Amino acid sequence: MIKQFTQLKNWKSCLLLTFTTAVFLFQANASSHREAPLISQDPLADNTDVYAFRSPDDSSTITLIANYIPLELPEGGPNYYTFGSGIRYEIHVKNQAATGANIDDITYRFTFTQVNEDTTTFFNIRLGKQNIKTVYLLEKSFDGGAFTTIVAAGIVPPPNIGPRSIETGVGLNSNYTTIMQAAIATATTGEKVFAGPVDDPFFVDLAGAFDVGNFRPEGNTVNPPKDGLNRFNVHSIAIKVPISMLQKDGKTTAQATSILDADFVIGVWASASRQQIKTISADGSAGYSGNWIQVSRLGMPLTNEAVVPVGGKDKWNAVASNTAGESQFDKYFKNPELGLYMDNSQFGKAVPSMNGLRIQSRSLGSFDFRNGKKGLFGLKGSPALNGTALAQAAFGDYLLPDSLSPRAVDLLPIFQTGVPNLRPYQLATGKGGDPLAAGKPFINNFLPTFGDMLRLNMAVPVTSRTSTDFSSLGLVGAAVLGLTDDRFNSTGTLQFIPNMDGFPNGRRLEDDVTTIELQAVSGVVLAAIGLWYDDYTPGTSPSPVTQNLLNVLSFNAGPTKNDTTFKVAFPYVQTPWRGYDHTIKARF
Amino acid sequence: MKKILNFFTALLVCLAFNQTTLFASSHREAPLISNDPLADNTDVYAFRSACDSNNIVLVANYIPFEHPAGGPNYYTFGSNIRYEIHVDNNIATTGADIIYRFTFQQVNEDSTTFFNIRLGKQNLKTTYTLEKSTNGGTSFVTIVANGIVPPPNIGPRSIEDATVGLGAASYDALMTAAIATASTGEKVFAGPIDDPFFVDLGGAFDVGGFRTTGRDGLAKFNCHSLVIEVPISTLQYQGKTTAQATSILDPEFVIGVYATASRPSITTLDANGGKPVASGNWIQVSRLGMPLTNEAVIPIGSKDKWNAAITNDERPFDKFYKNPELALYMDDSQFGTAVPGLGALRIQSNSLGAYDFRNGKRGLFDLKGNPALNGTALAQAAFGDLLLPDSASPRAVDLLPIFLTGVPNLPPYQLATGKAAGSPLAAGKPFINNFLPTLGDMLRLNMAVPVTSRTSPDFSSLGLVSAAVLGLTDERFNANASLQFIPNMDGFPNGRRLEDDVTTIELQAVSGVVLAAIGLWYDDYIPGTTPSPVTPNLLSVLTFNAGVTKNDTTFKPCFPYVQTPWRGFTGAGYVGPLSFDPLPVTFLDFTAEKKNNQVELTWKVANEISNDHYDIEQNAGGGIFTKIGTVKATNANNVHSYSFLHAGPVLNKANYYRIKQVDIGGKSSYSPIRVIRFSLNNVFSISPNPVKNVININTSQPDLRVNLFNAEGKMLESKLLTTGNGQFNISKYASGMYIIVAEKDGIKIQTTKVIKQ
Repeated sequence: MIKQFTQLKNWKSCLLLTFTTAVFLFQANASSHREAPLISQDPLADNTDVYAFRSPDDSSTITLIANYIPLELPEGGPNYYTFGSGIRYEIHVKNQAATGANIDDITYRFTFTQVNEDTTTFFNIRLGKQNIKTVYLLEKSFDGGAFTTIVAAGIVPPPNIGPRSIETGVGLNSNYTTIMQAAIATATTGEKVFAGPVDDPFFVDLAGAFDVGNFRPEGNTVNPPKDGLNRFNVHSIAIKVPISMLQKDGKTTAQATSILDADFVIGVWASASRQQIKTISADGSAGYSGNWIQVSRLGMPLTNEAVVPVGGKDKWNAVASNTAGESQFDKYFKNPELGLYMDNSQFGKAVPSMNGLRIQSRSLGSFDFRNGKKGLFGLKGSPALNGTALAQAAFGDYLLPDSLSPRAVDLLPIFQTGVPNLRPYQLATGKGGDPLAAGKPFINNFLPTFGDMLRLNMAVPVTSRTSTDFSSLGLVGAAVLGLTDDRFNSTGTLQFIPNMDGFPNGRRLEDDVTTIELQAVSGVVLAAIGLWYDDYTPGTSPSPVTQNLLNVLSFNAGPTKNDTTFKVAFPYVQTPWRGYDHTIKARF
Repeated sequence: MKKILNFFTALLVCLAFNQTTLFASSHREAPLISNDPLADNTDVYAFRSACDSNNIVLVANYIPFEHPAGGPNYYTFGSNIRYEIHVDNNIATTGADIIYRFTFQQVNEDSTTFFNIRLGKQNLKTTYTLEKSTNGGTSFVTIVANGIVPPPNIGPRSIEDATVGLGAASYDALMTAAIATASTGEKVFAGPIDDPFFVDLGGAFDVGGFRTTGRDGLAKFNCHSLVIEVPISTLQYQGKTTAQATSILDPEFVIGVYATASRPSITTLDANGGKPVASGNWIQVSRLGMPLTNEAVIPIGSKDKWNAAITNDERPFDKFYKNPELALYMDDSQFGTAVPGLGALRIQSNSLGAYDFRNGKRGLFDLKGNPALNGTALAQAAFGDLLLPDSASPRAVDLLPIFLTGVPNLPPYQLATGKAAGSPLAAGKPFINNFLPTLGDMLRLNMAVPVTSRTSPDFSSLGLVSAAVLGLTDERFNANASLQFIPNMDGFPNGRRLEDDVTTIELQAVSGVVLAAIGLWYDDYIPGTTPSPVTPNLLSVLTFNAGVTKNDTTFKPCFPYVQTPWRGFTGAGYVGPLSFDPLPVTFLDFTAEKKNNQVELTWKVANEISNDHYDIEQNAGGGIFTKIGTVKATNANNVHSYSFLHAGPVLNKANYYRIKQVDIGGKSSYSPIRVIRFSLNNVFSISPNPVKNVININTSQPDLRVNLFNAEGKMLESKLLTTGNGQFNISKYASGMYIIVAEKDGIKIQTTKVIKQ
């Protein structure tokens, strides 16, 4: 064990250097923009991203953000983008498994209505009047019960058309920041609420990602990566909620037993629903009737974009998270398509841009996590598993279901249940070379409702956005520090490691989820808990920080951050790009 | 007259260099259709082919703002939508005579991937059926059965790569292969293209914030296009060719063209994410004939209704042409002064000292019943009350017929050339006849008008406005009033060419330029006093420029004329380090060490199976590895160590080493790379040290990266020194020891401690 630490320390500077470089480099896919065939035809209801994080400027609260309507051109007039009427936009929160998996513990429901203040013009805004002016009703429900109105007539700011429409007397005679600030509402139950157009906070090289994985690394001078979402807006719903209002027993973090207190885990997902029957009439009007049907949903980023294949995408959107229907998609996590492109016995050689990512085929000389292989299944029933999450007595067959589901041990729980603070899901620090041994805790967002949600342990402290330790690699950043940094790798005891509050423990606006997920598919979580890459031979290799691990940690698929900043206070998302004069940047 | 000519010559020069534009023709133009992009008809074009003048080209575009990289579900035509192009060629029949109807189907060739194209398979692969009716829609006959829609132009791996993609020769090859010939002889194309429209969207809709340096809001966006090239004799209602036309303005050769999209009235969503079920009657949800009608003529309260209305049944919308909203912004007694972007355009309020065409004014109404109107289109005997309906509809005399009936070759609709000064009602020089009085919003084209070559110096994107200017001012055309072909008589609003700058033309038309062309000059012309009708006001209108004057790319010279869609991924593919394939051998360890001025390489391997030898390769910069030696493999079953001494490394640069393992069959793989540097000891110096605020760094090395670490080994800042020197300002940090580490090509080469006081 001492030896192991020493080895790690020796490699620390090397890894840190690589890692620091990686922070400057990195990224790649649109979280869920136009991700399924049907919803790509219904942009108003298309849920593009969900975020859940402890507020950096107010750590007693959590901020929930759900974005809709992809690729809004800022100058897309005369009928600028806005939330659809006839759509239920919802943010769902689970805070305990005991209440029944298919019932939300808390649901926020937004519905929007529009009025035209001056029907005689084709302009959206003219002479102080606004057309397609949008207001919202926000309702809240507990435990799947009746909805209560908590914001009655919330204001959606107008589109940021340009100086004449917003600032001058021929327009609204105001300024956009004032308008946006004035639109922040306080719900009768105390939450802060915002609904309106914002800069799309997501960033990805769309062009590269979907040209059969033609990623362009950041720093690539020959063909620099392009953020396909740069200079586009999106419509955002943001809610800032006191932690005690989300915690199942009404506790504040001061009452948490530890920074990984299991009682502070919430699961968050968003959806859009429409009434089942749309009738269009010959007079140019449209009407809706029938049951409400979920047409879009999102919890974990990229699930429906890059995990579920085209044949399952529309179905995935229609299934409610945490319901029985979820299990039909388990197979895509157990053997993910992306895994094929990180495996030279499959299509790995055909996707050169991902060649830094190779899944363990012979970890510790024996474990193969490539698609269709055994993974850890060979250990099933072994007494060595006793006391770990992998023991039959712990979660039954879930994590080791059969000999052909290698990723049921990591990707499946990351996406479907959260990860418990149990062996083997602790950092290799302190394990002395045995991945099943107790190590250093770094995550506990376990909420076993079996559904695709963003799971956040609200007890984990906030990493300051100005800290030198802040990393857009989220929990991968925390794992690297926990394994290699003197401040964190000297013992196996629980400590706050910076970025433990980052994806996949919730999701911050800055988190580079594309890179993190691609790293995760390539087995980086397995490596972090001691299931090292193929080029580490126990007893022979000087350090587990091998070339393969360095390749994964320095993997870089494109843009690594948003094309603008974020606000330091609610709603955190940035002012929408202005149609008249935003600067042009290449998108593809 | 000579003086006038001089004015006009100057004007022509001016115009030639100031071709112009504005607005998205009909992109997201009405509230409901902006929520249904697949059915959103954005533009319609109809022009005589410059490639084959026997033919007319009809183009209808759909789906605005397609991001070329908009994956993974790239844009395509919708199923359950009828996309139709309608052609009216006969005033005696009601509605369209010929209808082309496209319907689309999609299949997934590989539903196990999230990629659109992978390994030669394509998802959402789209084909079409084209049906044609020649009896106004009573019956349809299939004329293309399994038309191919080209795939989205995703990028080189998806399109050209034969392993992971489709292995096509090029995207253009796919596009060409998708051109079909209908059983009735038409050439047909349906697929994604560059959106040919151009407009300063950001300026136009910011309450008319037009600017001279506008930005094409549609630049680098694609749309989906339907293109049909049809022999003129197929469209002419008696089957005639232009050789049989009585003149280049033969009224028998006028067609009206518009396009639509329709959906079944009821759509029922499937609770399990299955395909929605569509049922009920087909309802028209989008239509387009004349550009910008529903964008900038119809106000928001009526836009959805306009889309649903049947062409030729649109009386409710007449009022928007008779008193257009845009005119309010060209009239200082209304909002004119509030829209400086349109300041160059002022409508006649006192033309010839008598006529006021501003909204709500009398226009030419006072002439009603006057014998002077006899023989003109304005006479009651000609078209009844249509053109002079009442005393508050001034533009019923020009905008209404331009949009809803076409313009007949009758006085007063002839150029002022040949008309006595102050006599707009006299016979003048003919320049248009696209009269097809079916009272519907259509693009009306007289097919007998010859084609203006796209390479002619006379070619102008100002279409008929430009033809009018030539007819009034160019010696080749203004010597007499007889009918002549004037270049650009085949341009908008006589049909519409891809190049036509319809935004500018329409804004000019709203500001009264057509009235001026026929002799109803601007206010600053006083008959008998002003030397020339080409007054500053007229010049101001003719040189008006609203920003963007042409498309952001070229057009194809022949079918399908529209341009290849923008490619999602452009430029070179992945460029970066290629890591290793898994080796038949496992490199357990590979080190390079300095031994005086030589380098010793040692590597340890396991799992040697059918291994032949190792090539040792060196790269001394420049990126190319060369072989510097060979070591025979032992094929030991257990772990085995090898070594190699490199006697001649370069001493002034980095030496990169790798081992190439070659197996008996000749297959090979590489080790990781190791780097050795000699003699780079004093690559940088710092001053002062100790330091209070700013550390200066000097180096003779180009592109040296310097990193500032604190004593705990945390990196605080990093800089690339390209010019040989740079600074770290450490005033904000605590006192104590700091470390500066220099890196070259990613390799740490020198470390220096600094004391902060």
